[in-house]
Amino acid sequence: MEEQRLISLENISKHYDGVTVLDNINLYIRKKEFVTLLGPSGCGKTTTLRIIGGFETADSGRVMFDSKDISGIPPYKRRVNTVFQKYALFPHLNVQDNIAFGLKLKKMPKDEIARKVDYMLDLVNLKGYHKRSVESLSGGQQQRIAIARALVNEPEVLLLDEPLGALDLKLRKEMQLELKAMQQRLGITFLYVTHDQEEALTMSDTIVVMQGGRILQIGTPKSIYDEPQNAFVANFIGESNIFPGVMVRDELVHFCGVDFPCVDSGFGEDKPVDVVIRPEDILLVGEDVGQVTGVIKSVLFKGVHYEMMIDAGHSIWKVHSTTMQPEGSRVGLAVVPFNIHIMHPMEDEKPTEEKAQ
Amino acid sequence: MKLLKRVYLGLILFFLYIPIIVLIVQSFNAGKSRAKWEGFSFHWYEELIHDPNIMNALVITLSIAVLAALFSTILGTFAAIGIHAMKRRPQNLMLTLNNIPMTMPDIVTGISLMLLFIFTQVERGFVTMLLAHITFDVPYVILSVMPKLKQMNKHSYEAALDLGATPMYALFHVILPEVMPGVITGAMLAFTLSLDDFTISYFTTNPLVQNLSTLIYSQARKGIKPTMNALSALMFVALLVLLLVVNRRTKEEDA
Repeated sequence: MEEQRLISLENISKHYDGVTVLDNINLYIRKKEFVTLLGPSGCGKTTTLRIIGGFETADSGRVMFDSKDISGIPPYKRRVNTVFQKYALFPHLNVQDNIAFGLKLKKMPKDEIARKVDYMLDLVNLKGYHKRSVESLSGGQQQRIAIARALVNEPEVLLLDEPLGALDLKLRKEMQLELKAMQQRLGITFLYVTHDQEEALTMSDTIVVMQGGRILQIGTPKSIYDEPQNAFVANFIGESNIFPGVMVRDELVHFCGVDFPCVDSGFGEDKPVDVVIRPEDILLVGEDVGQVTGVIKSVLFKGVHYEMMIDAGHSIWKVHSTTMQPEGSRVGLAVVPFNIHIMHPMEDEKPTEEKAQ
Repeated sequence: MKLLKRVYLGLILFFLYIPIIVLIVQSFNAGKSRAKWEGFSFHWYEELIHDPNIMNALVITLSIAVLAALFSTILGTFAAIGIHAMKRRPQNLMLTLNNIPMTMPDIVTGISLMLLFIFTQVERGFVTMLLAHITFDVPYVILSVMPKLKQMNKHSYEAALDLGATPMYALFHVILPEVMPGVITGAMLAFTLSLDDFTISYFTTNPLVQNLSTLIYSQARKGIKPTMNALSALMFVALLVLLLVVNRRTKEEDA
């Protein structure tokens, strides 16, 4: 597997005016992988991307590309291209000249440039837009041109800095699928930066969750969703209920005043833990057969499901269910052992209860 | 009320422009007397063209204005790009330092430049006047290029590097074309200011190298010839046109 590593970040740290932006980042990216750096704003994900692009230099650590140290190489000599947040198209050039910018610098023959520009415009579904001024295009179209302008140089890695952030929801979802399809078709490594957990889950092969300049967890979307390593990740990726609990012994955890059987082990006996349960994994059952009983405090219709806040065992449980129960009614709650996820409690102060969507 | 407003505005404009109107009317007066209208004529304009002193001063004025605009635009544009790339605090400091010469009275600038030239034992003449004009033009160029740089997408330069451009190539093929409207406005402004300057020119040249305004001044001391009316009228029209163009450009850029 080692020879597949295209980019490695080794012990990267970065400070701005005494503030630590990146704290000893270690990360590798394999060939043809779609890697997403995910985290709230200010977590260091964009800085990481800019260090790989060559726009920032790390205070310490190395950036390895194809096993060569490229830390001191300027951006114009790196085999990566970037799609910037607000596109950064050149307004004084038309669509065709924007896309051809990199190729002209490589002194490529004119007919070959024309052929490649045609191919790229085709790829991003903007056939025949050659002579249009970039300022006359919509946000979505400008974004496609920015992607074409980067991809036409056939980079080994494409860096994307929140490229869909300025688009509306529907367009964003379309572009997510298009980008993913493009990446698979061209076989180019993508490094994608976003704060949108849904976007990360949809597109990535690997998600890197970052917070406060550190990497919290690296894994496939499924493993990060199903087995978050701590309360922050659980909270940031999807919605979850996080309860403080005590591991009574292997496969038995105590929280909300009740013992729940679970599948986790190896935490020791009578040890404090965080318990994560996804809202869709909580079953509403009869009052008398539930593991814990509660009162429905509020009901919200969310389209696919109802979101109910239920007061049970002196905690508020967020429950997603396709069947609605009226507010104020008493219900029983049950969770199958497999859906109870146990984590070590976070050492640091708990991040505030912020939710991305 | 509406009538009152109009009369008020009319009066202000009247008093503001009456001297210039008198000047322009007088320049077409056939006679030499300033008190009596002796019929319409282009006589003084003809004499103007045939006066070697005036033609000489015109050539000097235009050469100074063109050269000063050229050099100050080059200096000012690159200075603006440099200032723009600075961090916030040194940037604000530089912009303040840039603004001070503009608010300084011309007479102070003129005398201090004169003292500098005397102190450094540089003989005053064409070159010193040109240097002085470049000096007072540069801040205005910086001021008209700066907003264009601020409007530019902050990643444009990085995008160029990312696509393989060297910093030099990016400067000339991405940054300069994007700020070009501001550069042209700056150049026109510099040209206009240089054309119309009297005070600073007066202190930084010698009596043999005269531009139009210092020439008019020295001739006025001997009594104003009617050709001066014609010359002043022409300068007024030329500056008016230039200013209208500059104003229009600034408005379009803001839109």
